[in-house]
Amino acid sequence: MTQWIQQAVRRAPFRDRREIFWLTVLAMFMAIVIGALYLSNVAETSTIGRQLEVLIEEQERLEQENEELRIEIAELRSVPRLLARAEALGFRQAVSSEVEYLIVAGYSPQRERTVAPIRDEDAEPIPVYDETLIGWLRQQVDTLGRQFAQFNAQ
Amino acid sequence: MTQVKTRYGQPDVQDSLKRRLPLVSGLMGLAALYLLAQLVTFQYQPTAVTNYYNRLATFNYVSQARVTAGRGVIYDREGQPLANNTFDYEIGMSPNLITDITRVAPVLADALSLRELEIKTVYDAAVANNLPWVSLAKPVSPTVAERIRELKNSDQNLLGITVDSQARRLYPQGTLGAQVLGFVAGDAVRDLSLRGYNGIEGYYENELAGGVRDETFSRIPFELPEDRNLDDRGSDLVLTIDRDVQFLIESELQRAVTETGATGGTIIVMDPRTGDILGMTSYPSFDPNTVYAVNDPNLLRNPAISDAYEPGSVMKLVTMAAGLEKGVILPTDTYVDNGVIEVGGVMIPNSDRAARGVVDMTQIIVQSLNVGATNISLKLGPSNFYEMIDLFGFGRSTGVDLEGEAIGTVLTPYDADWSESNLATNSFGQGISVTPLQMVTAVSAIANDGLMMQPHIVQQVIDGNEVYPSVPSALGRPISAETANIVTEMMVQAVEQNLTEAQLPGYRVAGKSGTAEIPTPLGYERDASIASFIGFLPADAPQVIIFVKLDRPNGYWGSLVAAPVFRRIAERLVILMELPSDNIRQALAAEGGNLNNAWSR
Repeated sequence: MTQWIQQAVRRAPFRDRREIFWLTVLAMFMAIVIGALYLSNVAETSTIGRQLEVLIEEQERLEQENEELRIEIAELRSVPRLLARAEALGFRQAVSSEVEYLIVAGYSPQRERTVAPIRDEDAEPIPVYDETLIGWLRQQVDTLGRQFAQFNAQ
Repeated sequence: MTQVKTRYGQPDVQDSLKRRLPLVSGLMGLAALYLLAQLVTFQYQPTAVTNYYNRLATFNYVSQARVTAGRGVIYDREGQPLANNTFDYEIGMSPNLITDITRVAPVLADALSLRELEIKTVYDAAVANNLPWVSLAKPVSPTVAERIRELKNSDQNLLGITVDSQARRLYPQGTLGAQVLGFVAGDAVRDLSLRGYNGIEGYYENELAGGVRDETFSRIPFELPEDRNLDDRGSDLVLTIDRDVQFLIESELQRAVTETGATGGTIIVMDPRTGDILGMTSYPSFDPNTVYAVNDPNLLRNPAISDAYEPGSVMKLVTMAAGLEKGVILPTDTYVDNGVIEVGGVMIPNSDRAARGVVDMTQIIVQSLNVGATNISLKLGPSNFYEMIDLFGFGRSTGVDLEGEAIGTVLTPYDADWSESNLATNSFGQGISVTPLQMVTAVSAIANDGLMMQPHIVQQVIDGNEVYPSVPSALGRPISAETANIVTEMMVQAVEQNLTEAQLPGYRVAGKSGTAEIPTPLGYERDASIASFIGFLPADAPQVIIFVKLDRPNGYWGSLVAAPVFRRIAERLVILMELPSDNIRQALAAEGGNLNNAWSR
């Protein structure tokens, strides 16, 4: 067998074909690598797309839930309910003569409504885009590796 | 035909190919041309056919849906929500995605409180008609919708079950402020075209309505979902209405109607310094949450701005202010009241037909003398009188930001059916029709040193992070501050000497009652009236003006039936608005306290 291969390789007319063969193999290898990377990329995109869909659904669900809760709070805080609750707790409406007014030095009733700024110290910093071609290839290979590992684990 | 052979006696293939190739090429070329022609003609199909094929082509990988952004929320001046959005849920089924209906039906039947047979029947009908989707139940509560979602996540058999939400307007305070708010109607299921009608919902439809877009959703898994545009949400509105004041006046109007047997009524509370409407209500009203159940469309209107009435003696305030402003009378002037006066062939008596003898101008307001008001209008003459009527805003819109405002009817000498007697009757509020809001706006000029503010109901428009406050604006200055102060003092005297039902201990109240006969095509109704009262307090620094009108009350007179309602409202308002009594307020001011309360803007 080895002799046959050696003979075949030595034959001059096959030299060109040998180069073509290796070029074809290389091309196929490259195609497989690119294909694998493409598949990996598509798989990752699909996964992220699905995650996004789930998050969007979750966001919409939570928004709707918030809206329902706002309505519930508004209904619970409606005037007739508050009056009934206050009466049940033993309160009654004040009359004018029972109200006392005090002067508070430096206080102006013409106040501006202010809203405290939202604290953002716990918020994660926005990631900076710094991806390179090498980094992207490494990321793809890592992803591929993880997928193989997950597949083997199953 | 001779067959060409090679030297070994075999048929020559090359030769055979050479001869057949043109034939085959020609045939293939013809076929290609035919296909090309078909392709070209296919581009020019009728639109319906094109749309059909487009739908077929895109059906498998895209879906389209009409998406509406949320409608803006309406708040009262303290941030309490008056109109929110909620969702109705609809449970549906895609039969193509159901593998085993016998497993799905029991689960759904339990969750939706339906019978299994019903679900199977719907499924069978959908399959028989090749329907891609069919509705199972609507509307269902958020709790049931959530349960179905959870079941879907845990049971693969329910993959073909859909949970869709549809926006619906909800008014969490029920009937509170219904006529001011208006309502939202439309067929959400059919085309999502919810639209606001009447009141705030109608007037601010463009601001409140969120954008409506037709969106395409891809079914291809590796196409990332597009970023949903959330900027289309409608603007939120903060009203000048105070929920507590609104509740107070609605309760008092209901009580007044019950006690007096009135067929209807209107109450308006306004800040004369800014034109902020703090409360506005009319009876009868409706529940905007069940607007489809309202049989009488008149109930959906807001009589406070859209129903004109003859105001009666309250109009004497305008006549008096006009006479003083034009300088045809002085506060100290007197005249001889004979109880009746003839103008243009029409006899005009006082309401009790009694003569008063020599009386001054203040007594015209205190005793509500028709003869005195007529005298002033005659001194003014038509030109001056109707000029002042116009300056006070009668016969034209106040420009309030509510849908459906009427302008009333004012006949002038330019109208064919005007006569001299109109000048006389108009001076005490007959033969002229105004809306309750026009009357409040006019009298607010007296309360606000002659400056007449434009009534308005929206304080802020909140569009995302932008806040657009409404700036109080003046409609004009029909009278000077001096004239306003004189008329105010006359109104105070009217309350102190005659309108005792409107007195509020500790506060100087300025007020005037009105009792108007109800016009019919044949004259005026007997024994029926529109009783009203308008007043403001504190008289020396007015912060609130209150208008009460009752239609056809048993008590007939405004001073008897409307004035007590005014007093009850004022009693509560001074607490809600933190208005100390006059002596306390003056003592506080002497010590350096700020007289303006927190309601000022």
